[in-house]
Amino acid sequence: MIRIENVSKDLGEFKLNDATLQIDEGEYFIILGPTGAGKTILIETIAGIYRPDHGKIFLNGADITDTLPKNRQISMVYQDYMLFPHLTVAGNIGFGLRQKKIAKSEITVKTDEIAELLGVSHLLSRYPGTLSGGEKQRIAIARAVVTEPKVLLLDEPLSALDSRTTERLQEELARIHEITGTTTIHVTHSFGEAFALGDRIAVMCGGRIIQVGTPDDVFRRPNSEFIADFVGVENLFRGKSVVHDDIALVRADGISMVSSSLKSGDVSISIRPEDILVSKKETETSARNSFYGEITEVKNMGTIVRVVVDVGVPFVVALTKQSYEDMELLCGVHVWIVFKASAVHLF
Amino acid sequence: MTRGARGIHKYMQINTATFKILTISVALLLTAFVLSLVVCIVTHTSPQSLLASIASEEIRFAIKLSLATSAVSTVMCIAVSIPAAYALARYDFPGKALVNTIVDLPLALPPVVAGVGLLILFGTTSFGEWLSGLGLVFVLTPFGIVIAQFAVNFSFMLLIMRSTFRGISPRYEYVAQTLGCNPIQAFLQTTLPMSKNGLIAGGIITWSKGIGEFGAALMLAGATRMKTETLPISLYLNMSCNDLELAIAAATILIVISIASLYTFERYVRSTHIY
Repeated sequence: MIRIENVSKDLGEFKLNDATLQIDEGEYFIILGPTGAGKTILIETIAGIYRPDHGKIFLNGADITDTLPKNRQISMVYQDYMLFPHLTVAGNIGFGLRQKKIAKSEITVKTDEIAELLGVSHLLSRYPGTLSGGEKQRIAIARAVVTEPKVLLLDEPLSALDSRTTERLQEELARIHEITGTTTIHVTHSFGEAFALGDRIAVMCGGRIIQVGTPDDVFRRPNSEFIADFVGVENLFRGKSVVHDDIALVRADGISMVSSSLKSGDVSISIRPEDILVSKKETETSARNSFYGEITEVKNMGTIVRVVVDVGVPFVVALTKQSYEDMELLCGVHVWIVFKASAVHLF
Repeated sequence: MTRGARGIHKYMQINTATFKILTISVALLLTAFVLSLVVCIVTHTSPQSLLASIASEEIRFAIKLSLATSAVSTVMCIAVSIPAAYALARYDFPGKALVNTIVDLPLALPPVVAGVGLLILFGTTSFGEWLSGLGLVFVLTPFGIVIAQFAVNFSFMLLIMRSTFRGISPRYEYVAQTLGCNPIQAFLQTTLPMSKNGLIAGGIITWSKGIGEFGAALMLAGATRMKTETLPISLYLNMSCNDLELAIAAATILIVISIASLYTFERYVRSTHIY
């Protein structure tokens, strides 16, 4: 278990501001945020590259704030691999084991094992310069994991790769985590990656941690407009809310809706496109919000189709391709959109 | 049409082919100029007398002294430049810009001026006296040659190593540290081996500059036959007393060394990767 208490670090260009975080044993923890949010400083500080200006870091209860990186048993993988170009793949993977003065024969065995696990056995005698991005990243992961660290830090490990390789390595990371059970902290700016891999997510912005929660928490109940914007919640409005009889009446851009979030005053409103239903006729449902409008845009995204319905304000609705085709929803068609009060998230 | 405009018009008539021929001619003229210098030296005496001069005791002494002093001063330059260049490439500290400028100064400073400075520092100050007390006498000794070469040449090494280290991400060392290295081990196992080409290129240029060092060495170590007589000093001494054959021998050896080191330097600089 790793605990970060009020950690601040100022590197001029990048800043970390009073970060407090607890990551549980064996957890796959995501740090999500845009470029320049201070994510890399945070994990480099955890690794011991920088000494925090303020605050403390604990690993399994022990204060490691002043422990040298080499004694922390925390490994690190960077976006741009940082494979040692003067060493072979085997030399790279065995680097950490050699520092620990482990017997050569054992190093070979462990290197072979981990290379097998990551599917890079055929590359062991090659030099990194000639390898593809995906291969390099597998080797960088192998190099970090082979020392059996207590914590594995991944700094945007998939960001430099093409989308197919990203997908495959993402599965690989999940598999390795399952096999080794190593506490993992994975930094990314991709909500998709965070959602797919993370047990929990911390969202960072401007050097601060602004929300920590499960992916679902962060996605459904973003605690700020920044996060809602960043994680790509599309139906995001501003309005005024009045709470009455355990229900909030919200007015935004000329339409009124009800919400089961009990927040009053000036609010931000988000409704996930997946939580909105479309019907061609007005139907009686238990859903409290119902609007009539015209389809102005259809975005085909493979298995999911996103339809924009203008009901005075534009709502994005997500449908499966099947129901989109069955309902013959084209631009210009008038439809009803329906969603529950509990789908209206106020913050 | 005015006269000036007509002039411009005429000038515009020069076509690409003419322009190409003009510029190439200048390059060829320069090549011929340099070659003629070299040829004039090596053909001034007969090959037999050149070989005899090279075999003479004085030239053999000069070769040995030049090789020894330049080897020692190059090692000193490397030993000092690696940590200093690393600091200047990696860290920020107050006065860094000023330090950068001052350590580059020997690149621009005439070596004779550096020599005068060295002579005053080692010959007249109490620091120099203290060193003499320890047996380290630099004035008019071969040690002086080493120090003179070091003072004039370390900037080349520093310059090359600084830009080599700047081109290598510090994250290699970070990764090495997380894998069990202390900062020195991390440097020795990642950044340093990755700087191999910079080290070789810098070492060669520093060494060949050391072999040719004249002005500062003359000021500090003087020109004493068979004592502080390096190849350039030998050339100077033998020219002064009109012993042309020995002078030519010294010059020829210096030419050979220059060509060899230039060739090696180009080879390594061209193949230097920035990781």
